[in-house]
Amino acid sequence: MSALRLISNRTSQQALSNSDYTWEYEYYEYGPVSFEGLKAHKYSIVIGFWVGLAVFVIFMFFVLTLLTKTGAPHQDNAEPSEKRFRMNSFVTDFGRPLESERVFSHQIAEESQSLFHFCINEVVHLDKAKRSQKGPGLESNIHFQEVPRSSGMFEEGLNCLTKFNIPNFVNTEQNSSLGEDDLLISEPPIILESKSVMQSSHQILD
Amino acid sequence: ENISDFSLNITDCTQVVVPEEVFFTVAAVGILENLLVLIAVVRNKNLHLPMYFFICSLAISDMLGSLYKTLENIFIILCKMGYLTRRGDFEKKLDDAMDSMFILSLLGSIFSLLAIAADRYITIFYALRYHNIMTLRRALVILAIIWTFCTGSSIAIALFSYEAATVIPFTILFPLMMFFILCLYVHMFLLARSHAKKIASLATSTVHQRTNMKGAITLTIFLGVFLCCWAPFVLHILLARFCPHNPYCACYMSIFHVNGTLIMCNAIIDPMIFAFRSPELRSTFKKMFCCAR
Repeated sequence: MSALRLISNRTSQQALSNSDYTWEYEYYEYGPVSFEGLKAHKYSIVIGFWVGLAVFVIFMFFVLTLLTKTGAPHQDNAEPSEKRFRMNSFVTDFGRPLESERVFSHQIAEESQSLFHFCINEVVHLDKAKRSQKGPGLESNIHFQEVPRSSGMFEEGLNCLTKFNIPNFVNTEQNSSLGEDDLLISEPPIILESKSVMQSSHQILD
Repeated sequence: ENISDFSLNITDCTQVVVPEEVFFTVAAVGILENLLVLIAVVRNKNLHLPMYFFICSLAISDMLGSLYKTLENIFIILCKMGYLTRRGDFEKKLDDAMDSMFILSLLGSIFSLLAIAADRYITIFYALRYHNIMTLRRALVILAIIWTFCTGSSIAIALFSYEAATVIPFTILFPLMMFFILCLYVHMFLLARSHAKKIASLATSTVHQRTNMKGAITLTIFLGVFLCCWAPFVLHILLARFCPHNPYCACYMSIFHVNGTLIMCNAIIDPMIFAFRSPELRSTFKKMFCCAR
């Protein structure tokens, strides 16, 4: 860079009267630098810098991990294995109809749990399974998320913020009952569908 | 005629040379990738959102960085082959222009990352009003202001680069911005954690742990990549200004070409961690390539 050339120009002119120091077009000829009597290793700044940077990044990672730990110990014991099995199977088998003997509130809880699982699993399996199951999977994604939208149960359950694909996308579904700090974040198939909704809501608001 | 021969020890730090093929390959890949991102966003109407405009801004600044390095290398090769004189006025002006392009790239990257972080912050904390706060027009205005400021500062810094008054603010800006971006993301994380706690009773803990780790990993990658790619160069500028004749500093400065390659690697990695995470963008790419065949 010319910055460095200017610096070395001035200093070398102080040292030597006619310094034609660029015999090549080298930016970084700083003139004579004496390497005698070095106490530490000559690359100590390089090593120290990189080690410091690595330590800082690792430290930042641990701080972030600690920050994001939910740390609720009771949930480890509370889940019966049967319920877990049901939730997992509900997630993987989209076509299975809800059992009729469930009470409505229980059904909502199940569905929001399963929606939550759906969001989580979507994140986890997105890169792996999407290619193989793209056709039916996507359709059921869209269908699945359309169902709760129409029924409007978004209190806290469907918080896809917990899938920390840190918010690339926002489902600004303005006709759902979201609180100020509740956020529905999901993958852009929603955006594709909801764009028309957004436009219509704009027309209403403007 | 090698005047620097006379007092150099055998143990001096010679310039670490990166082969030109590696240099050009890395630069070309970076430029191509970012160009693809730009084309994809322009072509797909669904991607005309403020968020993608900020990602485009990042892609442009990455492209400028890689372009600078490519041009500089071509310049050096032309000088070595004798087509350009080493001290001509034209060459000096060209060199200044290229330096300002590089600083523009760095500033543009920092401010684009800041814009992306701020956009996400508004997305989370002002979710329902997001579309009123961050309209398309406002996003374009913000980008115009950012780029005007960056262009002006880069020209000023390139012209007055030998003043300490420009080097110091430049090097302070870098960690300051990083810290600010980190604070924004940490605040978002804290909100996410409180949300996750609310639904903690509904889910198994193993799933939580996985997603929490994913979030921490994602953010560490964002900031870690930026730091690792740009910080060596910023340190180089500091050392060049304040201790060019110290042997330790000189040894650090001898790896300048490696630092330059790192900056170009940043241009390659950035689209992967920002742009390509969007399935919409990925599907646009697939369509582009399928149609091209």
